[in-house]
Amino acid sequence: MKKFLLPVIAFLIAALPAHADDSLYQALGEKAGIQAIVQRTADLAFVDPRTAEQFKNSKKDRLVGLVTDQICELAGGPCTYKGLNMKKAHIKLGITQHEFNAFAECLTQAMNEAGVPYRSQNKLLAILAPMARDTIER
Amino acid sequence: MTSDWKPAFLIAGLLAAASQPATADDLFGSGKLLATPGVIQAEGAGGAGLAAWATISGYGTDREIGANAHYTLVALDDFTFQSAGVTVGLFDRVELSFAKQWFDTGSAGGRLGLGDGFNFNQDVVGAKVRLFGDAVYDQDTWMPQVAAGIMYKKADKGDIVRYVGAKDDDGVDFYVAATKILLNESLVLSAGARLTEANHFGLVGFGGPNGDHSLQFEGSAVYLVDEGWLIGADYRTKPDNLAFAEEGNAWAAYGVWMPNKHISVTLGYADLGPIALQGRQNGLYLSLQTGF
Ligand code: HEM
Repeated sequence: MKKFLLPVIAFLIAALPAHADDSLYQALGEKAGIQAIVQRTADLAFVDPRTAEQFKNSKKDRLVGLVTDQICELAGGPCTYKGLNMKKAHIKLGITQHEFNAFAECLTQAMNEAGVPYRSQNKLLAILAPMARDTIER
Repeated sequence: MTSDWKPAFLIAGLLAAASQPATADDLFGSGKLLATPGVIQAEGAGGAGLAAWATISGYGTDREIGANAHYTLVALDDFTFQSAGVTVGLFDRVELSFAKQWFDTGSAGGRLGLGDGFNFNQDVVGAKVRLFGDAVYDQDTWMPQVAAGIMYKKADKGDIVRYVGAKDDDGVDFYVAATKILLNESLVLSAGARLTEANHFGLVGFGGPNGDHSLQFEGSAVYLVDEGWLIGADYRTKPDNLAFAEEGNAWAAYGVWMPNKHISVTLGYADLGPIALQGRQNGLYLSLQTGF
């Protein structure tokens, strides 16, 4: 009996948090949903008067691909982000708090349009907000 | 009233001009995220309902200035409290506020021998500085945003407040507040400690036969229901310095609607405890705010 129970308990312990951890990934609509949200965020941020200047030399498709992988991974999905770390990616840009928040508002609009529940939106923002430390200039 | 807060704008403008070449758009850009600065609390400070928070009022980021005007009405069983004023946030670091407050005793004034419709009024000048922590960006740590503040209060009916036992018609509150936005839980929690001798927030003077400065608590719990919709509750303990009538603790529960960064409406219910032998005073809490 013990021989049977132990692996079952071990499996449950391993499986439960893994399942809980991927709820945000599900709420965002899995990889396809995240891709669409990031694409829409980029479409908005590239023309938003508050952020457009920062993206004027950026390749949108590449950025959308990288940010999609990054959010997919952070949300508990089966992706691996292979880009630069946040500090390296943004250090030369001199991003302000205002620009960072404007970008977050573009993301919020994209999530609203995609029908992501408000509580899930906040969960994603909770993951992204501390990145302000590495992306915003000091 | 205007002349009281104009100097703040002037100082702010000079500071901004000195620190960076910003256009008007940049300086008043309302760059903070919706709801993150809270609203204006009962005495004019950034917070909510009855409690002052550690957040700096207004939507100005670390390079911007925010400012808001408020009108607050608390319609109690026997009394009516009103407050109007202006609160300015400078570079998400310093907050300056001014509020004028009216406490109408209605027919209770007659019963107390003051005369029907007798008004206790006061002016509140506040300043707050953010010390450390960031309520929005520090989502990966337990560190709250912490601020220290001061409120200078001056009651207008010096003779009467002294007659009922208050030692002074003016006084100073010192407070420290810690506020945490828990985005993952869609919650805002705030707790503060206030060293105060104010009787009924200062409207009935400062100190009395039962004591003077004492340490009091104030706190809030707010749930972010949806974009622009919040519900919350505050609790605030108060001194009990006057001998002629017992003063008790206060609480409020409310909903807030903020359709954008320029308007907010807080509607709820407040219980300010027993006031001037007229029993516990409960009633509507309404606060309108506009600014950037
Ligand atoms: C939490 C917020 C943010 C995240 C998660 C994020 C993520 C990323 C990622 C993954 C990259 C690609 C790194 C690489 O090249 O390997 C990147 C680059 C970049 N980011 Fe961000 N970013 C954020 C905020 C911002 C903001 C607020 C701005 C400007 C308003 C911005 C502007 C840029 C620009 C201009 C690039 C370079 C794009 C290029 O090389 O084509 N980012 N960001």
